[in-house]
Amino acid sequence: MASCTYTVPDKAASGDNFYGAVICNQVYVDYFWNTYGFSGNKAYWDDGWGWDDCCNTSKPLARAFNGCYALTYSASDYLNDSYSAPILNWGRRYVRENIDDLRCFCGDGTAIARSKSGGLVEVYLGFFYSKDVPGRAETLIHESRHQGGKPHDANFPSGSVFGSGKSGADSSWDYEGAWMYGALYLWWYYATGARTTSALRERARQRGNLVIDNAFATHPGFSI
Amino acid sequence: MLPSKGFDTPFLESPDTLETQRTEHPFSFQTSKDKQLNAVIVDAINRMGGVGDDAEESYRHALRSLTKWGPGVLDVIVAEYDDLPEDRYLDRWSLVQLIVELRYPEAVKPLNRIIAARIPAEKVKKSHDMSTVGEEVMIRTTAVEALVRLSADDVAEAREVLLKHAAHRTFSIRRACVQGLMQTGTDDDKRKLRRLLKERKEEGLLKIKQVDVRSVPQPIGGRFVVPPQVKSEAPPPDLRATRE
Repeated sequence: MASCTYTVPDKAASGDNFYGAVICNQVYVDYFWNTYGFSGNKAYWDDGWGWDDCCNTSKPLARAFNGCYALTYSASDYLNDSYSAPILNWGRRYVRENIDDLRCFCGDGTAIARSKSGGLVEVYLGFFYSKDVPGRAETLIHESRHQGGKPHDANFPSGSVFGSGKSGADSSWDYEGAWMYGALYLWWYYATGARTTSALRERARQRGNLVIDNAFATHPGFSI
Repeated sequence: MLPSKGFDTPFLESPDTLETQRTEHPFSFQTSKDKQLNAVIVDAINRMGGVGDDAEESYRHALRSLTKWGPGVLDVIVAEYDDLPEDRYLDRWSLVQLIVELRYPEAVKPLNRIIAARIPAEKVKKSHDMSTVGEEVMIRTTAVEALVRLSADDVAEAREVLLKHAAHRTFSIRRACVQGLMQTGTDDDKRKLRRLLKERKEEGLLKIKQVDVRSVPQPIGGRFVVPPQVKSEAPPPDLRATRE
């Protein structure tokens, strides 16, 4: 068991202040809890993580729900989650179908999230407090892609912010790995994201470009 | 049909525990005694994260309120940027995004300083999915975006700074400057840029194009498809609106 602490500003650009006001409804709480891997994992989301205070956006569970809201509703036609639609539509379906258990831990500060065997995804403090709301949706999609059978298959390119030559990159855009899924989700969020602001969409663009520039062994040759 | 997942069985061992503390906002406003202005800055940044059909309009309204103070507001924003702890990356980014939105030509100098500032060494070297250098780069590429918009507004000094940082040591910053100058620069700016890239043997940067998301290869989804009869539909995005 680990114990951790975090100081959270109420008013900041992460999106939690406003998303939090929307998700505070039992209908959403039930839907997210039962759909995105929280169910069966109450013990992990208790003891300060927000299980008994799930509207409080200074706590991780509400912040995770905010990411789930962005994941679910950021396409204007969110009811269409067909795989022939953009990933902004079907990202939620892909997460739903690939994450069986979503659990929270303090972590050691070296990861946002990790994919384990059997549909288990662990999320750490950085997921809740260093990522903005759409960034959390991106993380869930990234980890879902690992669950869907695509590990990273290359080393980061020279000059990469993730560490030149380290493992953890995808070989190319066409590999259709976790980095491609995450970047493409952010790209669509930037281009057509609904119920959000131009500032959060610009944030998604900057993050998407960072991934495109640094997380592929061979640069895709385009940017957002 | 019985659910395949286990119920929320209590643990025998203890899971991790977390204690959170709240602050009103991340800023100190040590240099600004104008409480009304400080409140408007906090409000504008807060509304960056808005959600709902009126989120953008509320954000725009907050920005319009901020413009009543004129370019002098930049001094307060930049002072807050300088005062924030280095690891408050999202908060620092949000202040730069405010500068992007305000489009004041007076912002060129502070933007140049933000981009030119040394990027601190990576703090999480063992990670593959988080990077403090990456956070710093996003702050700087957002500052580049501010310069690109000023360049589009015909602010010549912004173009000069874009040209200068087209030789930045960080790839993403170089790439953003090159794309921004090619889109908004004069013919003379583009000539200078091509000459610079040729000298540096980096003409390949010109080949990286900003494109529409619809034109790039999309993934083939569809593994592990849930049968339609098991699928549960999401509730509408705004339950308050549907009740009315």
